[in-house]
Amino acid sequence: MARPQKTRSRNAPVSKPAGKGTASTVEWVTGLISAFIVLVMICWVAWEALTEVEAPPAFAVTVRERQAVEGGYRVTFDIANASSQTAATVVVRGEIVDGDTTVEDADITFDYVPGQSKASGSIFFSQDPGSRPIRLRAVGYTEP
Amino acid sequence: MAKAAEPVAKAPASKPPAEELRSFLIGLGRGAAGALLFAVPMLMTMELWELGDYTERSRLLVMLFLNIPLLFFLAHQIGFERTFTWRQAARDATIAFGLGILISAVMLAMMGILKPETSFTSIIGRIAIQSVPASIGALLGRSQLGGGARQNEPDEGAVPDHLSPNFARELFLMGVGALFLNLNVAPTEEVILISYKMTPWHALATILVSIAIMHAFVYAVSFRGTHQIPEGEPRWHALFRFTLPGYVITMLISLYVLWIFGRLDDTAASQILMSAIVLSFPGAIGAASARLIL
Repeated sequence: MARPQKTRSRNAPVSKPAGKGTASTVEWVTGLISAFIVLVMICWVAWEALTEVEAPPAFAVTVRERQAVEGGYRVTFDIANASSQTAATVVVRGEIVDGDTTVEDADITFDYVPGQSKASGSIFFSQDPGSRPIRLRAVGYTEP
Repeated sequence: MAKAAEPVAKAPASKPPAEELRSFLIGLGRGAAGALLFAVPMLMTMELWELGDYTERSRLLVMLFLNIPLLFFLAHQIGFERTFTWRQAARDATIAFGLGILISAVMLAMMGILKPETSFTSIIGRIAIQSVPASIGALLGRSQLGGGARQNEPDEGAVPDHLSPNFARELFLMGVGALFLNLNVAPTEEVILISYKMTPWHALATILVSIAIMHAFVYAVSFRGTHQIPEGEPRWHALFRFTLPGYVITMLISLYVLWIFGRLDDTAASQILMSAIVLSFPGAIGAASARLIL
């Protein structure tokens, strides 16, 4: 009961002089800059909303590093999603290919590959692929 | 009640030592209670334990360092004891951080999240990441739970306004409120999941709703009389002077928290913006209500 009354009495003498002087200018400048930032953001999102193309996720997998590790061989790669739509539970399969046959394969699942972003991960093979090519591709995803 | 307290308030130094110790211990208890009240949701969030393990140490360090000035200014505003000097604020801030670390450590140990076989880095990381919200809670606990004690202390000029402004103070408190709710929500996977599910149209609606909620709070606060929109001033003035700066601060705090938690790495600008908009929704509620609560 007593509190709001007290606070009011505390603020009243302080706020009056501050409100008229420099503080007010600072407040307005801050306010206008903030309004500008918010407006830019709204325009950006609105522009995205208007220009968005409903393209399904499209993946590109690139090998970043191949390295022998204890008990196997590690292949580190990036997966980029060129579409604006995010994909969930993206399964990437890596295969060591020898001619027409797949010598070894391994799977990895990404929780998310956001739109226009990339994620990275590693796959372990039990053998050194040597000069044999490694094939990496996304085999499926779900919509988040 | 306020009358009876007056003589004590005028000369706080003249308190007998026993009573001073008692009120300090009560303050400490309230701080601990506040730390618990505010930190329990985060202490019991799985993602935050994991973040303690893998958050980049340099970012964790930034978070811990920034927490020091934050607690310091917060202590100066609301403090364990209503603080008059920067020295007292520094003391209160230190106590709050200490309490935050202690309570985080004890609670995590109690729930079996810190075990002898847990690596040292993980133990430190898990405690450190929890200590930030817990220490803010320790300071807020005083103002939340200690409404009665406040009346023992002088209200007139207790918080010196020479650093101008109520305006700077209000923005700071909004920032703290936003940070607090953000820390609650940001660790969960839902924030990014929601940003993936939303279309830009949903995002637009979220921005407008967040601003509208904040603005509604601005009015609630002005009705309560704790801050000053002069009578007769057009209503849209407050939108520019408080609501929009508050929302921009909330966005910045959201980006900061997302960055600390590594949610922005390798992410496109539009996705970053989307998750910031999602996180700014709870942030806006926190920022706006901070002005009511604190």
